[in-house]
Amino acid sequence: MAVSVRDAEKVKYREFMERIEAGEKIEADDWMPDDYRQALIKLISMHGISEIMGALPEKEWTPKAPTLYRKLAIMAKVQDEVGHGQLLLRVAEDLIKPYGKTREDLIQDLFAGRLKFHNVFHWKTKSWADAGLIGWLVDGAAIITQTNMLDCSYAPYARALKRIAAEEVFHAQHGEAIAVALATGTEEQKEMLQDALNRWWPALLMFFGPPTAELTGSSKQEITIKYKIRKNTNEELRQFYLTKYVPRIQGLGLTIPDETLRWDDEKKEWIYKQPDWNLFLKITRNEGPMSQERLRLRRLSYENNAWVREALGLNTKIFAS
Amino acid sequence: MAGKKVPFYEEFVVFSRKTPTSPCQEQFTLLAPNHEIALVMAQENFMRREKVCDIWVVKRSDIRCMTPEERKTLNRIDNKDYRNTKGYGYLAKFWRKLDQGMLDEKEILSWSKGRVVE
Repeated sequence: MAVSVRDAEKVKYREFMERIEAGEKIEADDWMPDDYRQALIKLISMHGISEIMGALPEKEWTPKAPTLYRKLAIMAKVQDEVGHGQLLLRVAEDLIKPYGKTREDLIQDLFAGRLKFHNVFHWKTKSWADAGLIGWLVDGAAIITQTNMLDCSYAPYARALKRIAAEEVFHAQHGEAIAVALATGTEEQKEMLQDALNRWWPALLMFFGPPTAELTGSSKQEITIKYKIRKNTNEELRQFYLTKYVPRIQGLGLTIPDETLRWDDEKKEWIYKQPDWNLFLKITRNEGPMSQERLRLRRLSYENNAWVREALGLNTKIFAS
Repeated sequence: MAGKKVPFYEEFVVFSRKTPTSPCQEQFTLLAPNHEIALVMAQENFMRREKVCDIWVVKRSDIRCMTPEERKTLNRIDNKDYRNTKGYGYLAKFWRKLDQGMLDEKEILSWSKGRVVE
């Protein structure tokens, strides 16, 4: 009997693989292998919570934005990011439902360090040029990663990403507009932007994760490619990013702080100085420059807004009675 | 006084999805005694030719629509340029001078193909 159950599982797995190999999509109520569900939960809950973790420090720039237009634009962007978080958390919640878990569990996992938020949100920001550079280059890196999963085998994630990608077009142009304004502005503004690039360059390279699992101990890239959640490896995405963005960065008259950076025409790849992967490891343990501060901000926001959640529930009870 | 009588037929709103990544679209409404019959009728009434990958039926009474008064609040004031790409059109000219293209919807969505080494 036990053997036949195992055989049935094997048949299910084979049919599942045939479906995704044929380009079919998986829905939340379809059978799926456990490691597929686990990989999706890890990826999408991290993606969702990172949208929120990124929006919290980004909103701090609203009062400091230099013009009313920039203020309105950055507010619109922050609102989008929180909206993306809500979309993605909904996708993650449907995946964790069979385990009897809810959004509350995800939030508690974040606070306890079991759920990670993206490595790029553990860094410090200094000036308005950082806000511009984040909008331009960090969002650019996010767009490269997210568009790579637009054809994802898991339909609810693909649908969420489709909505997100459409809004990212505005984010890309918003970030570029700030960078262009600074790069074509006064000497002081140009220096501010160069200084921001100098500090953020390693974070931009780290954004895509380590090239191999050996370098940092673990990586989910093989499983996500096998299950057609994404198309490219971390390194391929980084190379793609460099191809798209290095000419734009240099076009603005900025110097990339890596003397070894060059395009190797024979290898058809960018040669660059590796970022400090030990620092990356520290960040994944929430020991980065701003890890604890960002978590503190999230906890504070969660506690301060507890009354809103309570009030909403109260409202439902009044309407129901 | 007896409670409100539930009629034999109830109103259902039918939605369908064309492809796994397209949004669910409202098709029409129909009368049916339950969800199962509503689903069969939805297929026979609205999807006789159109290819779809999923159909939803929802009891109309479960949908909280807006009232005519509430719908009036949806009128937009044309002052939201900062929220879309309209205000950044000038970037195209700037990047052209640097032999770079604009990061518009066409370009960004083309990245979904992933890295292709030429």
